Amino acid sequence: MPQKGGATPPSTRFRRTDADGGLRICIVLVVLSLVMFTASVREGDGPGVFTTARGAWMTITTPIRWVGGAVTAPFQGLGNIFANLTADQERLSELKAENERLVARNAELEESEQTARRLESLLGLQSLYNLQSTGARIISGSTDSWSSTVTIDKGTAAGIAVGMPVTDSNGAIGQIIRCGAASSTVRLVTDENSSVSAMVQSSRAQGVLRGSVDGTLHLTLVRTDQNVEVGDTVVTSGLGGVFPKGLPLGTVTSVERTSGALYYDIEVEPLSSTESFEEVLVITSLTEDQKPTAEEVAQADKQDSASSGAKSTKSDDSSDSNDSGDGSAEQTDESAGGDGTEDESEDQSQDEG
Amino acid sequence: MQVKDSNRNRRDFLTLAAICLVLQVAVAPNIALGNGRANFGLVFAGVASLLVGGQFGVFCGFLAGLIFDLSTTGPIGLMSFLLTIGSYVVGIEARNRIADDFVGSMRQFAQMAFIVSLAYHVAMFLVGEATSVMDVVLLRTLPTFALTLLGFAPFAYVISHATGSALTLGGKPSKSARSHGSRYDLGNL
Repeated sequence: MPQKGGATPPSTRFRRTDADGGLRICIVLVVLSLVMFTASVREGDGPGVFTTARGAWMTITTPIRWVGGAVTAPFQGLGNIFANLTADQERLSELKAENERLVARNAELEESEQTARRLESLLGLQSLYNLQSTGARIISGSTDSWSSTVTIDKGTAAGIAVGMPVTDSNGAIGQIIRCGAASSTVRLVTDENSSVSAMVQSSRAQGVLRGSVDGTLHLTLVRTDQNVEVGDTVVTSGLGGVFPKGLPLGTVTSVERTSGALYYDIEVEPLSSTESFEEVLVITSLTEDQKPTAEEVAQADKQDSASSGAKSTKSDDSSDSNDSGDGSAEQTDESAGGDGTEDESEDQSQDEG
Repeated sequence: MQVKDSNRNRRDFLTLAAICLVLQVAVAPNIALGNGRANFGLVFAGVASLLVGGQFGVFCGFLAGLIFDLSTTGPIGLMSFLLTIGSYVVGIEARNRIADDFVGSMRQFAQMAFIVSLAYHVAMFLVGEATSVMDVVLLRTLPTFALTLLGFAPFAYVISHATGSALTLGGKPSKSARSHGSRYDLGNL
């Protein structure tokens, strides 16, 4: 044991109260962590102790997130201003203060103008699609590097529930995967584990839009005998039963057809970009005209059954499910338009809860 | 004269914890490098284990990991598991390394941060959250590691250059303090 004293090197002067260097408590906490990890994985997104604890934590930290979003939001668009202010400081010294004030004021007004435009667009979208929805505001991005999520400032207290789709003024952006009392987490369509039933607007070719780690979207399961062109708009098909039909998702940027492949490899650029303090709509319920018609479901069935060799693969993927990613979902309806994966069922049961 | 001020030590560590918590919840989500985001839980665990180590470091690592887990969408317990082990390994050697050896402590924290980040993302990969190991390493682990290291540097710099704070644990004490052999002691923490 090191002795405290003048001649002893600084790094060895500190009294150790734990003779084993913390080994015992380390073992206890490691075991506790493993137990929590196992229980948490088994619990999944369903109701339970960890979900409750996480919801409570989200509620507690919502004000901090809100402040953080407010503080960092102005810096997202002011990077160039600081660079420009470094030019010829001597001549501009007396104008600098005035310039800064005007720049700040201008940025503030531009932000207000953009906010007004977004709100108008949201209202337009709400009116155009007759959406039953609640407005909310993004207050934070993803906390970890693993998932593409945003946090919005509305929770169960505002009638938000797990599974509800979320849109901004450009179109669908994601789906609620977790709810606290005053905030909710939205998994974005660009998340690697997200998949949304989608179709090419012009040709009505149906597929599944998947997110990826690099932020691009891929429209999969579109058969090569369908017509898809670069520049086509991709919209929700409504077949998953979560998103309303016809909401814009993105624009086709490349279409590749590999020799012998059954499906195109289509890359889609998302229409929406999510930034802090932007307004979004949470769609609380779907009306009948937002759901796919029997004809569209039959068409999807027909498209699906045309390539029977790939049917099982497609049936596994065809759903609006962006809240699991564990690959354990089971399809209750094997058609391409089949509603309700296991994940969805869980979500809906949570909604009811 | 031996100076013992465990209340001040606790207060300073609580302040550090509060700063890291606010940074983790409010700032980290809004500053990203690719898919990576800074892990201030890891920063706090690193500071605690490099300064004090032992039981205290291990406990801080566990709590920091637990709070990180609660803030994310991943499984609860994974980061607390990794930070508990990481804090134990880093804190098992001599204490007060930030003040004694700034570069060495940065190097050691970098190793800890890289291993913890890599292990976390590989574990998430193993539970089926990704399909490509290269994506896990290049697009998630490395940006997270870089931002976390960047987040740790100011704390390490301030602690290594500050005098009089309990967090310095006597690092670079004043001449008068040195002549009297004055040192803070975190042994009671």
